Amino acid sequence: MGESSRACRFTVPAKVHRLLMSLGENELSDAETSAVGLALPVEVLSSPRLDPTLKVGVKEARLLGTEPWVRSLGKLGLEVTTESWRFPTPPAEVSDPATPRLDRSVEEPPTRVEMPRRRKGTRLQPPADLVHLKERLLYLLQPPLESLFAGRQVQLPSPPYPYQLEGIAFLMPRTSALLADEMGLGKTMQTILALRLLFHAGLIHRALLVCPKPLVTNWSRELRTWAEDLPFEIIGGDADCRHTSWCISNCPLKLVNYEMLTRDAAIVADEEVRFDVVVLDEAQRIKNRESKTAQVVRNIHRSRSWALTGTPVENRHEDLVNIFAFVDAERIPPETPAKRLPQLTSDCILRRTKEDVLTDLPPKTVRDSYLELTPAQRAAYNLAESQGIIRLNSLGDTITVQHVFELIMRLKQICNFDPATKHSAKLDQLQADLAEVADSGRKAIVFSQWVEPLEYLAGELAAFGPLQFHGRVPNRQRQQVLECFRKDRVKHVLLMSYGTGSVGLNLQFANYVFLFDRWWNPAVEDQAINRAHRIGQKEPVFVTRFISPGTIESRIAEVLEKKRQLFNELIEQNEPPALGMTEDEIFGLFNIRVRPRRTAAPLAA
Amino acid sequence: MVASSITAAMNLGYLTVLREAAGYVGGYLVTNSWGRPLEFRLSTSVQPSRVQLILYGGTLEPYICGELVGKALVEKTATHAQLIVTDCESALELRQRLDTPVVLLKDDPLKSDQPGNGLLGRRGPVFCHPRFPQDAEAASEFLGRLDPAYNLAEPFARIREALSEARKMGAMSRG
Repeated sequence: MGESSRACRFTVPAKVHRLLMSLGENELSDAETSAVGLALPVEVLSSPRLDPTLKVGVKEARLLGTEPWVRSLGKLGLEVTTESWRFPTPPAEVSDPATPRLDRSVEEPPTRVEMPRRRKGTRLQPPADLVHLKERLLYLLQPPLESLFAGRQVQLPSPPYPYQLEGIAFLMPRTSALLADEMGLGKTMQTILALRLLFHAGLIHRALLVCPKPLVTNWSRELRTWAEDLPFEIIGGDADCRHTSWCISNCPLKLVNYEMLTRDAAIVADEEVRFDVVVLDEAQRIKNRESKTAQVVRNIHRSRSWALTGTPVENRHEDLVNIFAFVDAERIPPETPAKRLPQLTSDCILRRTKEDVLTDLPPKTVRDSYLELTPAQRAAYNLAESQGIIRLNSLGDTITVQHVFELIMRLKQICNFDPATKHSAKLDQLQADLAEVADSGRKAIVFSQWVEPLEYLAGELAAFGPLQFHGRVPNRQRQQVLECFRKDRVKHVLLMSYGTGSVGLNLQFANYVFLFDRWWNPAVEDQAINRAHRIGQKEPVFVTRFISPGTIESRIAEVLEKKRQLFNELIEQNEPPALGMTEDEIFGLFNIRVRPRRTAAPLAA
Repeated sequence: MVASSITAAMNLGYLTVLREAAGYVGGYLVTNSWGRPLEFRLSTSVQPSRVQLILYGGTLEPYICGELVGKALVEKTATHAQLIVTDCESALELRQRLDTPVVLLKDDPLKSDQPGNGLLGRRGPVFCHPRFPQDAEAASEFLGRLDPAYNLAEPFARIREALSEARKMGAMSRG
C-alpha cells in the first residue's frame, strides 16, 4: 500500500460550502472546495495497524489448586441417645394426694406445719462411698425435706429444727450411720422421721428398733407422735407370741428391748428374719464386743445399720470400734490405731452439740458445790481410808482392781452419809436448795449411784413430795411416776438412779438437777443432766454437783475431767489423747505401792 | 386406701434441656404427685456443627430441644406422665409430637414473650403451646389436684443436680 493512498479524499456539499463561506473561511482553495456528488460510494481503506498477523498464546492459570475444591457436609441430621434409671415405687396408700382431697369438705382441715423459710431446701446427699450412679441419683432426686413436711402427706405436730432436718437427711441415704448427737437434741425424732420417709418412698419395708427396756414406752409415744401413719408392734410376751412377731407378722416396724432380743438370739439369726434397717438406740450397750448383746445384734440380717448414742466413746477408743462392728464391720480394719479412727468413720458419724445448734435453748449452768464433810463423816472417812489402804498394801501382788473399787465405794458412801449417825453435809445443803426450788414452784431431779441413799433421801425430803425412779420401782409403775412428777404441783423432787433414769427420758419440766454423788463416767452424768436440759425446756437449767473436798470424790472429779477430753478429741477429730480411766489411774487414787501381777488395761466404767 | 389404689396414679414429668459448652443436654424426671422420683432419664449431649447451625437457622433450638432430645427422653421413659412441665421454652415444641399436655413454667410472667396461653395460678405462670390451647384446661385441672404446698419449679433443681452428678460419673459420655 503506497503513501498516496494514505490520504482520504472526500467532497464537500454545496450547502456546507456556503455555510463555511459565511463563517469567514474565504481562504479555502477551489480545489478543496470542489463539489463532490454525495451519491458516490464511500471508499474504505484498511488500517496499517491491523496488518500484523495475530498470534494466540495460552498460559496456565492455577485458580483453586491442582484439583477441584470439594467438601462433604456430612450428615445433616442430629442424633441423641438416652439412659434411664427406675426407682422403687412408693406404696399406693401414700402415693396419691387426690383421694383424700375429694371429700375434704367434710373433713377437719389438715394440720399444716409452717416450715422455717430457708434459701435452699434440705436435700439428701449420698454418702461418699456410695458408688453406683443409680443409688446416688435415687437420693439426689428425692424432694427437699421441707417440701415433704409442708405438704399433707407427712403431717407433723411441730416443725423440725433445721439441724434435725440435716440429721434426717444424713440418716436416709446411709446404710451405715452413727447419729451421735448430744442428749436432748432429738435423735429419736430424727430417726423416726427418717424411717417414716423411707417407708413412704418405698425404700424400706421392714425395720427393727432395739432400745433399752425402760425406753420402750418412750419410743412408743414418740412413734405415735411423729409417725402416726406408721404401724409398729412391740415384741414381747411368751415364746410363741414372740415367734409370731418375729417370723409371721407383717407389721413394718418392730420394737424390741435388748434383753428380749438377746433371749430370741436364735430366731433373729435365722436367714428368714431379715430387716431393711436395724436401729440400735443407746448403742453404747454394745461397746463390749464380746457381750451377748453385741453378738446378737451383729447376727441380725439387715441392709442398713444405724446406731444412736450420745456417748459413742465412754472410756476408750475401742468403744467406737465396737459400735462400728455393728454399724459397718469392714470400715475399721483390725489393729487400726486410734488416730486413724476419725478419718475412717467421719462420713458415717453425725455429731452435734447443743452449743452448735440450739442457740435458743435456755442456758445450762453447772456448779460444783464443795461441801466439807461433817465432823462425824470426816472421822469415819479418815478411819475407813487409812484402814483400807493398809489392807490394800497387805494384799501384795494378789491385789485386784476390785479390791480398790470396794474401798472407793465405801468411801463414797461415807461422803454421802456417816454410816453411824446418818449425818450428811450434802443432805443439809440439798434440803436448803430444795426449799428454794419448792418455794419458786419449780421441780428438781436428784441423781445418785445407789438406791439406798435415794430411799433414805425420800424420807428426809418428805416436805418436798419426793418421787422415786430407780431399779426397785417396778416397770409398770415407772410411767405413772413420771406422769405424777410432771402433773402434780406438790411433787417437787424426783429421786433417780443413774442406771435407770439417765437415758431416754424427757423431763423438761424440771429446772434443777442435783448430782448427789458422782458417776464414774462423765458421759453418764451428761445423760442424766440432759433429762432436763433438752428440747422443750423453756427455763434455764441449774446443775449442782456435790463434791466433798479432800476425799476420793475430788480425786475422781479430776479423772473425769480428763475423760471428757478423750471424747471430744476422738469425735471432734483432733489428736486422741491417752485412754480413759485405767487400772493404773484407779490405783493412783490412793497412795499405795502395790500393783496386780498383770499389766494395766483400760476399764469400762 | 382402697380408693387410692383405684385412682389412676398422678405422675408428672419434668423436662429440661440445658445448653452447655459440650452441647445440649436433656434430663427428664417422672415423679408421683408428692414429688417422689419414679424414673429419671438423661440424654447424651448434642453439639450441632457450624453447617447445621447455618442450615437449621432459627429452627435449630426448637428442633433439638423439642423433637430430638425432648421426644427421645419422653418416649423412651417407661413411666407415663399425665402432664409434662418444662422450663425450656424451645422444648415446648415437643407438644407437636406427643399426645400428652406439655406446659412451660416461666420464672417471671413479665419477662415472657411466649404467645401461648398463660395460666397465672398460685403455682406461677405456666404456658401451653399456641396450637394446643386445650392443654390449658387439662393442666389447670391436673395442677389443681396437687397438694397446695407443692412447688412446681423445685424438681428442676434436682434434675440439674442429677445431670451434674451423672456428668461427674461419666454417664453422659457413654452414648
